[in-house]
Amino acid sequence: MHKNPLHILILESSRIIFEGLYTILYQSDLDCKIYHIEAIDELSGVLETEKIDIFIANLLHFVNREKEIKKFRKNNPNISIVGIDFGMMQKSDPEPDALFSLYDTQEKIISLITRLESKNKNISKYNEKDDNLTKREIEVLTGIVNGNLNKEIAESLNISIHTVVRHRKNITTKTGIRSQSGLTIYAISKKIVDIEDIEI
Amino acid sequence: MKMADQIDSNPKLLLMLQHFDIDFRVSDLTVSQLCLQYDISENLFVDIANLYNGFGAKRNHTYTKKDLLQVIDFLKNTHHYYRSDMYPQINQYIHKLQENHPEVELRLIEKFFNEYFTEVKEHLDYEDDIAFPYFIKLLKENSTNDARELYSSKEYSEHHTDIELKLHDLKNLLLKYVKVDNDLDLRRKLFFALYELEYDLYIHSLIEESILIPSGLKIESKENA
Repeated sequence: MHKNPLHILILESSRIIFEGLYTILYQSDLDCKIYHIEAIDELSGVLETEKIDIFIANLLHFVNREKEIKKFRKNNPNISIVGIDFGMMQKSDPEPDALFSLYDTQEKIISLITRLESKNKNISKYNEKDDNLTKREIEVLTGIVNGNLNKEIAESLNISIHTVVRHRKNITTKTGIRSQSGLTIYAISKKIVDIEDIEI
Repeated sequence: MKMADQIDSNPKLLLMLQHFDIDFRVSDLTVSQLCLQYDISENLFVDIANLYNGFGAKRNHTYTKKDLLQVIDFLKNTHHYYRSDMYPQINQYIHKLQENHPEVELRLIEKFFNEYFTEVKEHLDYEDDIAFPYFIKLLKENSTNDARELYSSKEYSEHHTDIELKLHDLKNLLLKYVKVDNDLDLRRKLFFALYELEYDLYIHSLIEESILIPSGLKIESKENA
């Protein structure tokens, strides 16, 4: 089966670091295509023309641009963000999906990116399934619609809160609806809950 | 660069002109001449026009206090447009749709929109009553007493995100899930209005984030130095 190359965008203004990373990626077994930008303002331009899978960024560029990054995350849920850690960053918000440091070995960097690649594939498989929710997700959704807290949903389904949160994330990814009232309308139009059960 | 040509290539600039209180009959004026006539700095005008044209914000531009006061007037005008033009219009479409199709989903959509509108009004009131007067004071008097609290207020920025999020939900519900038979004229008008609103809200927050807040911070740090 033909495999599409992985499209990797690197945001790094240091030529030395970019070239180093470029060499490591191209010399590895990864089939990838690499794009380079030097400032965050160039990001939207690249996204317009290229389909990026992984975004490797010098996290210093994110400082004071948190809202844009959040927006980017929201609009591009399938792009994984990998941060380059200079060892002096504070915890960044939103958090990248993975981090490597300038001192990591080539193998470590490559295996990190390979892991993200397979994760991405899983996500796109999910998306193909459209908004078909699993049985568990429907149970969680019903809880949300009834106004139950995560803790209550977890208890009634006998699962951990962490799992409830994961289900909620998946529900949002699949449906594209985030707010509780929006999910209620979704659940009614999909006949997941009965109108009679909802206070209007 | 004639203004009329610019409008021709991106009619959304009309919205910008209106927010700047500039008349639509721009004759044969160039952008520079227009700015001169309305006493707006070309730097500021071009930066905001570029936001409307879909280009990212320029971070390092410096704006004068006069520029920033004009930005505040601009944003106040956008509030007027949301309150007195867009929302009543959307409200009317949704209400009409609900009357034409008395299904429970549409009743819920109307309720969803009304709740959303209330939140938006709260946010606009907050800006009109607290944020803008604060900025004006900062610009006019150079006093920065409660500055940090306002800028770092996480609640403020989350509120913004929330507004965009609910609008996004509303569009998705209408595009993907809620079944309505026919009525395409009305529904198209509703969609166009929602997209127009979404676009202007987006630019509105870009202006705040890329022009107003960084410039306010600059003034503060100068004073604290």
